[in-house]
Amino acid sequence: MLTYLARRSLAVVPVLFGVTLAVFSMLFLVPGDPVKIMLAEFVTTPDQVAQMRAQLHLDEPILKQYGRFVVNAVRGDLGTSIRSRRPVSTEIGENVGSTAQLALASMAVAVAIGVPLGLMAALARNSWFDVGSMIVALLGVSMPSFWLGLLMIVAFSLHLGWFPATGGGDLWHLVLPSVTLGMIASAIIARLTRSSMLEVLGQDYVRTARAKGLAWWGVVVRHALKNALIPVITIFGLQFGNLLAGAVIVETVFSRPGLGRLIVGGILAKDFPLVQGTVLFVATAYVLINVLVDIAYAFVDPRIRFG
Amino acid sequence: MPTERSPRFVDIVVAALLILTVACPLAPAALAQTGGTLVIGLDQEPPTLDPHASPSAVTYQIIASVTENLLYRAPDGKLVPWLAESWQSARDGRSVTFKLRRDVKFHDGTPFNAEAVKFNFDRIVDPKFKAGGARAALTTYAGSKVLDEHTVQVSFETPYAPFLNLVASGPLSIVSPKAVRETGDQVHTRPVGTGPFMVTEYVAKDHATIARNPAYTRKAPWSDRSGPAYLDSIVWKFVPEAGTRVTTLESGETQAIYQIPAQSLPRLEKNTGLRVEKTPWPGAPRIWLLNTTKPPLDDVRVRRAINYAVDKDALLATVARGIALKAFAPLTAVMLDDPALRQAYPFDAAKAGALLAEAGWQPGSDGIRTKGGQRLEIVLNAIDYGGGPEPTVLLIQSSLRDVGIDVKLKAQARPPWYEDNYRCATHGPVMFLRSIDPDGLFSLFHSSFVGGNFNWSCVKDAKLDQLLEQGRREFDPAKRRAVYLAIEKLAIEEALTVPLLDDLSVWAYRANVQGAKYNFNAYPVLSDVTIRR
Repeated sequence: MLTYLARRSLAVVPVLFGVTLAVFSMLFLVPGDPVKIMLAEFVTTPDQVAQMRAQLHLDEPILKQYGRFVVNAVRGDLGTSIRSRRPVSTEIGENVGSTAQLALASMAVAVAIGVPLGLMAALARNSWFDVGSMIVALLGVSMPSFWLGLLMIVAFSLHLGWFPATGGGDLWHLVLPSVTLGMIASAIIARLTRSSMLEVLGQDYVRTARAKGLAWWGVVVRHALKNALIPVITIFGLQFGNLLAGAVIVETVFSRPGLGRLIVGGILAKDFPLVQGTVLFVATAYVLINVLVDIAYAFVDPRIRFG
Repeated sequence: MPTERSPRFVDIVVAALLILTVACPLAPAALAQTGGTLVIGLDQEPPTLDPHASPSAVTYQIIASVTENLLYRAPDGKLVPWLAESWQSARDGRSVTFKLRRDVKFHDGTPFNAEAVKFNFDRIVDPKFKAGGARAALTTYAGSKVLDEHTVQVSFETPYAPFLNLVASGPLSIVSPKAVRETGDQVHTRPVGTGPFMVTEYVAKDHATIARNPAYTRKAPWSDRSGPAYLDSIVWKFVPEAGTRVTTLESGETQAIYQIPAQSLPRLEKNTGLRVEKTPWPGAPRIWLLNTTKPPLDDVRVRRAINYAVDKDALLATVARGIALKAFAPLTAVMLDDPALRQAYPFDAAKAGALLAEAGWQPGSDGIRTKGGQRLEIVLNAIDYGGGPEPTVLLIQSSLRDVGIDVKLKAQARPPWYEDNYRCATHGPVMFLRSIDPDGLFSLFHSSFVGGNFNWSCVKDAKLDQLLEQGRREFDPAKRRAVYLAIEKLAIEEALTVPLLDDLSVWAYRANVQGAKYNFNAYPVLSDVTIRR
């Protein structure tokens, strides 16, 4: 188990290295002179351009710039936002809680809808319920989140007046965004639970358990579902990435503070340090969460631990 | 019977009079209800609330009644006293002396005086301070001199007439020196001014709150009464998604919103529970800067033909329906309006065709004109955020096809769009410019701005340069107007641009919200706003 943990943790290093390289090169992949782009809306003097270039260390050799970027990032210094003139790490700190809240709530919604739906569809295989719920799931996967978000606002905020359409803070404001984001993830989880469940239900040990005379429902929950959920755990990790990507849109639609809004604002303002820092943070979080999922996976599935 | 009827009539009259006497003292209060919170949905979050650091209009929309200026520019364009009681520009045009009010205090209790004005302007030009639009407003600033406690003289290296209008605009509004010294970076979220509202809260990505300044006893220049604001507070919510913003107004979650998409406007205008208000923007309209150096646009006849061929009415009937007016010149009509400008280039496809033929471009087999085997092709530089180029340029494309010009759209992201403009690489972009003073044309047409922001017509014309420089020196309003009218006529004569649309600043309110006013910048000033309950 320890070797597995060590191996898994070490594998993160090259991934993170790749992430820093990708994020760093963003600045150079965008066509045009980054300093001119950042100052595009102003009437500027050459002095101001030179000053900005020096401030961003763009006058140094590229390798030195990259070294500085990595060393600073490891220290937690992600630079200073050009627009707000505050440390990027402070900006991230202020917004990460709101996005984490949204991601967790959406995940809860996704599991609460997805797992029972997939389970029931599998048990009632080929029935109208199975076909119907899988069609709904297909629609869910295909539905763009900005569209679903606007539908939610029109239905539950404008017409029914149950929930506010905008803002962050309390649980009340969390309902519509997390349901929007969770619904989409739930569709994927439902489809996966269904296929995984069908596979497990055909296994010998399920038949054995039934043959021993155990209650049907007990077999489903204790024997089959427990095993069927193992692949679903992997999907949690991967879905987390989708949730973060979805947060970019959902946070904008619902005017909710968070990392997604931070990135969008940074892109629109051509605030390179802010975008670089936030993307680096989100990518690192994504990698780490997948490592945690892998480790959790080893706990629930002994085959992996000893494999 | 009449005898029975008359006492009844008297009863009614007495009752009515009673009601009136009771109601009368209440009436003024009912007319101007104080208290309440107004929630306004904005399309974006400001980069900062510091008036001197911001490059962005949204900052001044929020703080237009928080920080005050030495002068106020009313919607009719007149300059009136505000924090300054009077002002006098020197005969050589290189300085302006302001006599300041003596009864003004900042929200933090410190007095407003000549030192404070000097501190503010010195702060803007301090190389250590990263100024926004304010820096350009103080071009050639030489310094401020405190003549006495309430008199300050602001000097420039060269005569600088635009200063009088600019000193009345948000970027040169005055903040508390004490707050800047003591709170430093907090000015970005809590600028401390002297106005009828003060910033009390800022929650990033969510909202900013401004609350009534109870100590405000003066008469704001837009108001006809003295005393503090009616509302308790105003919450500016940042709601970037247009569909969401409109819905919050309809549901009552907000009571006002800014920036209404053209497609939602008819619905809001039909809704009797809402009211839409439109104010023209000062500056340059939505305008196509024709690159005068790149063939075939180096031929003025082709540029004029394009001006005749673009169907602005079609633009107004479709993509800009209800959110813009027709543009005629490189300044919007609110900046400078003249019958001579309005007559230029009516939509006339036949005339456009004749001009093109005169320039040697004959109709070709595929409908596109040719000259010496070369097709009449023009590359329009357009911004594309991923949803396709903006609809305005698509309409230009179809308008010009009708007269035999093939417009290729170079739809690209913003950074390369700028690069192409700097290098005069295309036949020009469609852009707009917000500016409170006609001197905004300096950056648009002066030869020193080719290769920078924003002379993207790439025009180098000695006569234009001379007029633009003259406009900077001329303080007399009538003579100034004549200079800029001459510049506009020259720009039209030479067809340096295609003026397309004068954008409107569009706000929508719940019907019970009343009393919003707008300054010349088209920013709302809200101390007289009431919410009828």
